[in-house]
Amino acid sequence: MIEYQKKIQNIAERLLNEKKVDVVLGFKKGTIPMMNQPCLVRVPDETQKLVWDSNCGINLTNYLTNRKERIGIIAKGCDTRNIVTHIVENKIKREQLVIIGVPCTGMIDKAKINGLMVNEIAEVSEHNQEITITDSRGATKTIQKKEVLQSNCSICKYKNPVIYDELVADLVPESKDIDRYEDIRKIESMASSEKFKFFEDMLSTCIRCYACRNACPLCYCPTCFVDESKPQWLGKGMDPIDIRTFHFLRAYHCAGRCTDCGSCERACPMDITVRQFTKKLEKDCVELFGWEAGLTLDKRPPLDHYKTNDPQSFIK
Amino acid sequence: MEYERILSASGPTGGHLVRLSDKKEPKKIAWLQCIGSRDMNRCDNAYCSAVCCMYAIKEAVISKEHSGDDLDCAIFFMDMRTHGKEFERYYDNAKTKKGIRFIRSRVHTINPVQGTDDLEVRYVTEDGRILNETFDMIVLSVGLEIPKEIVELSKKLNIELTSSKFSKTGTFKPVDSSRKGIYVCGAFQGPKDIPQAVVDASAAAAAAGEILSSARNTLTKKPEIIPEIDVMGDRPRIGVFVCKCGINIAGVVNVPDVSKYAETLPYVEYATDNLFSCSQDTQDKMAQLIKEKGLNRVVVAACTPKTHEPLFQETLKNAGINKYLFEMANIRNHDSWVHKDSPEAATEKAKDLVRMAVAKVAMLQPLKEAELQVNQTALVIGGGISGLVAAKTLSNQGYESHIVEKDSTLGGQAKSIYKTTTNEIVADELKQLINDVTTDSKIHVHLNTTIKKVDGFVGNFQTTLVGNATETVIPHGVTIMATGASAYKPSEYEFGKDSRIITSLDLDQKLINHDPMLKQLQSAVFIQCVGSRENNRLYCSRVCCTHSIHNAIELKELNPNMDIYILYRDIRTYGERELLYRKARDLGVIFIRYSVNNKPSVAIQNGKMSISVTDHVLNRPIIIETDLLTLASALIPNPAEDLAQFFKLPLNEDGFFVERHAKLGPSEFATDGVFLCGTAHYPKPIDESIAQAKAAASRAVTLLARKNIFTSGQVAFINPVNCSSCGICISICPYSAPSFIEKGPFTGKAQINPVLCKGCGLCVASCRSGAIHHNGYDNGQIFNQLFAITELPN
Amino acid sequence: MADWEPKIVSFFCNWCTYGAADLAGVGRMQYPPYFRVVRIPCTGRMHPKFFLSALREGVDGVWVSG
Ligand SMILES: Cc1cc2nc3c(=O)[nH]c(=O)nc-3n(C[C@H](O)[C@H](O)[C@H](O)COP(=O)(O)OP(=O)(O)OC[C@H]3O[C@@H](n4cnc5c(N)ncnc54)[C@H](O)[C@@H]3O)c2cc1C
Ligand code: SF4
Ligand code: SF4
Ligand code: SF4
Ligand code: SF4
Ligand code: SF4
Repeated sequence: MIEYQKKIQNIAERLLNEKKVDVVLGFKKGTIPMMNQPCLVRVPDETQKLVWDSNCGINLTNYLTNRKERIGIIAKGCDTRNIVTHIVENKIKREQLVIIGVPCTGMIDKAKINGLMVNEIAEVSEHNQEITITDSRGATKTIQKKEVLQSNCSICKYKNPVIYDELVADLVPESKDIDRYEDIRKIESMASSEKFKFFEDMLSTCIRCYACRNACPLCYCPTCFVDESKPQWLGKGMDPIDIRTFHFLRAYHCAGRCTDCGSCERACPMDITVRQFTKKLEKDCVELFGWEAGLTLDKRPPLDHYKTNDPQSFIK
Repeated sequence: MEYERILSASGPTGGHLVRLSDKKEPKKIAWLQCIGSRDMNRCDNAYCSAVCCMYAIKEAVISKEHSGDDLDCAIFFMDMRTHGKEFERYYDNAKTKKGIRFIRSRVHTINPVQGTDDLEVRYVTEDGRILNETFDMIVLSVGLEIPKEIVELSKKLNIELTSSKFSKTGTFKPVDSSRKGIYVCGAFQGPKDIPQAVVDASAAAAAAGEILSSARNTLTKKPEIIPEIDVMGDRPRIGVFVCKCGINIAGVVNVPDVSKYAETLPYVEYATDNLFSCSQDTQDKMAQLIKEKGLNRVVVAACTPKTHEPLFQETLKNAGINKYLFEMANIRNHDSWVHKDSPEAATEKAKDLVRMAVAKVAMLQPLKEAELQVNQTALVIGGGISGLVAAKTLSNQGYESHIVEKDSTLGGQAKSIYKTTTNEIVADELKQLINDVTTDSKIHVHLNTTIKKVDGFVGNFQTTLVGNATETVIPHGVTIMATGASAYKPSEYEFGKDSRIITSLDLDQKLINHDPMLKQLQSAVFIQCVGSRENNRLYCSRVCCTHSIHNAIELKELNPNMDIYILYRDIRTYGERELLYRKARDLGVIFIRYSVNNKPSVAIQNGKMSISVTDHVLNRPIIIETDLLTLASALIPNPAEDLAQFFKLPLNEDGFFVERHAKLGPSEFATDGVFLCGTAHYPKPIDESIAQAKAAASRAVTLLARKNIFTSGQVAFINPVNCSSCGICISICPYSAPSFIEKGPFTGKAQINPVLCKGCGLCVASCRSGAIHHNGYDNGQIFNQLFAITELPN
Repeated sequence: MADWEPKIVSFFCNWCTYGAADLAGVGRMQYPPYFRVVRIPCTGRMHPKFFLSALREGVDGVWVSG
């Protein structure tokens, strides 16, 4: 990771020096372990604060929306796919961007690491594909990174950037033959009462903080439907029906656009697995339209077209 | 016909499929084709009625859909004539997916089975076997025939009939009867199906319009315009009128109760009931009440808005209220008529529907209709026979047009055709037509020209033409698509390997040139359906059977000793073309049927050409030596993807344009201001192309004759503040109505052109940001209806 | 369950199903009085918000046809 970091700093410095970009969007070290923070670097000297490790799960595309300057952005596989969607949806122009692509080996799930230690965690470091955790009492533990990956990363099909101008390392091998939809099939096979119960339980702890929405680069509307007031058809409180409505419709808004970057799930303070909603729609898009989000600049997602020969078999 | 009534929901059995004699549900039904058609023995109708094959298949398919897959449907036929658009695919589907049995045979007799109402069909198969099969029900596919009275009427009118008693018309004047000023259309001109009859009707209207054009607009009256009262910002004052519709509604629903209930609803100022709301005196009374009570919104609870909304809207207008401040509650078609036996539930439902309508009408806003000027010029794309006739028809009615032709000459495919079925020389007629067009001061011809770009919309198109390295922009109000179709270049049957293997059009060329080799031929073979009716081209090219038969007759006439073989799958000489088929057989042309799975093969050895084909009667291969092999190759549409994109027109999977409605709108598109004719629509012979060209022109005139048009007020509009510029609306709209704003404070946000918008609402539902609103069906209005549903009355 | 009377909201396209429902009336076909029809200009207008809202308002079923 340290090589990645050096390379990122160098590229950022060069781009700023050569005045190719006005600003570089990357990560800096956070105040607590495993919480790197997005940051904007505008002068070459400050590029030294840019970091890279397995705690850069936040999708930086979210910070591109409607920006006017020329930006160098550090982007993992999933991030680049969101950048593609952003360009297609006029949220940023391709010419404004220098995409610094990071071939990604996966981000770690801090909840999983927290679960491994009894005491508070003081430091987490990584070497090759091993993670070493040190707690506040100085006890350490070393584990394989693959055991503590974010769940979206362990089923990721696009680790390498799909679009980039600079590359910080050689491309990594993509995983083959992964089953992305095991969980979804399980839900699909439930009887409707079971499903109802499943969703009810799943969302019972949601506090409607909208952190999931705010972390998502797809959610850039000036007024989100949940905030609509005229007419106000959706309650603003903690009514379970309203909470479910929020999640269902948000997922629908992400249909054909979500890249399963995991930012939403990562942001949730209540550890709710909201990706299950978006993944269901992702699966439908693959099966019905042969579509995966964010892979091409010259096509729009399936729900953006009107075609007379769209598949209809699901209409019963 | 009787069977159609049995299948119909409004028929004698309410759409339940039963045998009339004993009300038993049939398990086996047979259709017998060509009853009263193609038959000189039992009736005098030598022609083919052209519609029966298709209607029999349709009935069989519908019967299966009604009664499930257990129902056994068998169609006894001689040739299956599915030559219409999308018909071949329907036939294929009926055969392969619906399991309908098609039995190629001649039916000998039908005998009742003793003691039952069943019937036994005795028939002879192609290979000469005699078989019997019993059915519960037999449907006779009877043909069309001109009634005696019409024959007499024709005599009185002094118009000439053909030997089959249809009106006599010419290929180049397909709707002109023999007497000037009398035009014919539909099945009186010849047996035909609905789309063709609709085409004829429009064409006949055009022909009549041509001679009457000088009288246009001399007798129209202008209605008085009543100023509209501004109700914006006023509190809703709703009037509810509940209709009894005689006893249609009042016989089931407690109407006074509903109207009393309506009075209690929010914002309702006045409610009453009427015996017949749509009668003139009630209308007047309503207008008066609106004024008297100061009503600013109206609900009529009555029949269906689909028929009556315009009428009531007119009443609103007469009372000075914007016509969009109106809503109907359908308490007849959707209530009293369908819940006859539960008057209480029906009354409750009526109250719910009224409550929903009141909830909606309270939210409605007055709407404006965009008015636009119609440019009086037409653009005709394609200078084939269809394009030429369309332009000429427009010119005769006083309208200017531009013909765009990508080739260096006018005339299209017709240039390569020798004679019509009625023996007119195509070249002569075409020359005359081209001359008429090129000397017409109202027609501007652009040769070697194609279309580069199209802007604008109905009434105001701006089309950029490129020709001879220059670009010109033509403003026009309407567009007629006449891009035609060309002959398929075969890759089968050794085509291209021997100069004796040619296409139908090559043979026409030889006939046109009076090529002396034709007389020398000892033997000639035609192979039909080359490239049609199979695989990726599952349609019938419609003209080739007649074309080959006609050419076979020409050859026989040149040299009666020539042996001529036509290898076919079904002979599709529909209508009076059947007479040619008969004539060819009389002249000794030999017809041999082959099946798609066992096509003929061609061998050339030592300079000799021989064709081998499996004879369907003898059921064994025979070999024909021949000097000339003509391949009746398919018609394939000229490429038009770019035009389809420019004008937002759909193409079907074969590349033909898709018309507005397969039956009722064959010569126009769903896109306003764009019309369609000729072989760009579907393969068809010259007379039908001409009829459709006239039809397209006639449809176009309905627009051109108006100086300006009003579009609906019920369209979508965007609030730019909420727009996130995502571009979905622009991508999804089937009519290209939305676009990005190019200057001003909202640059980059989307906007909708109300003139192009059809109000479908697709963009409204697709905009995640909730920026798009729908006049007349806005979210708030629909939500209000939904909220009103679950509120309990009282 | 036998005398359960569901409330179903039906969104009908103005051009097809709405007209078909009119015809069902013309043909005097009889069906249970549980549906309340909302006329929409085209099924394209159908927004997921309407499903969710209708269900939220307590209807037992949503039927979209067009
Ligand atoms: C093999 C064959 C055999 C036939 N046999 C008979 C027969 O025996 N009897 C009979 O009555 N009919 C027959 N027909 C049908 C007859 O040819 C047609 O009905 C008639 O000619 C159609 O005229 P049209 O104007 O619609 O199309 P076309 O004649 O095809 O004319 C279309 C014109 O549009 C032009 N064009 C195309 N695309 C563009 C573009 N993008 N921009 C500008 N110009 C464009 C073309 O160059 C062409 O000139 C036959 C047709 C074929 C192909
Ligand atoms: S949930 Fe939907 S409406 Fe809300 S911000 Fe995201 S995309 Fe926009
Ligand atoms: S919904 Fe979640 S996983 Fe999908 S793109 Fe948004 S943040 Fe990423
Ligand atoms: S982040 Fe979690 S708790 Fe917050 S709204 Fe989303 S799912 Fe609910
Ligand atoms: S779909 Fe909505 S947000 Fe997107 S461009 Fe159109 S109006 Fe704007
Ligand atoms: S309502 Fe339909 S026609 Fe109108 S702009 Fe929207 S999608 Fe286009």
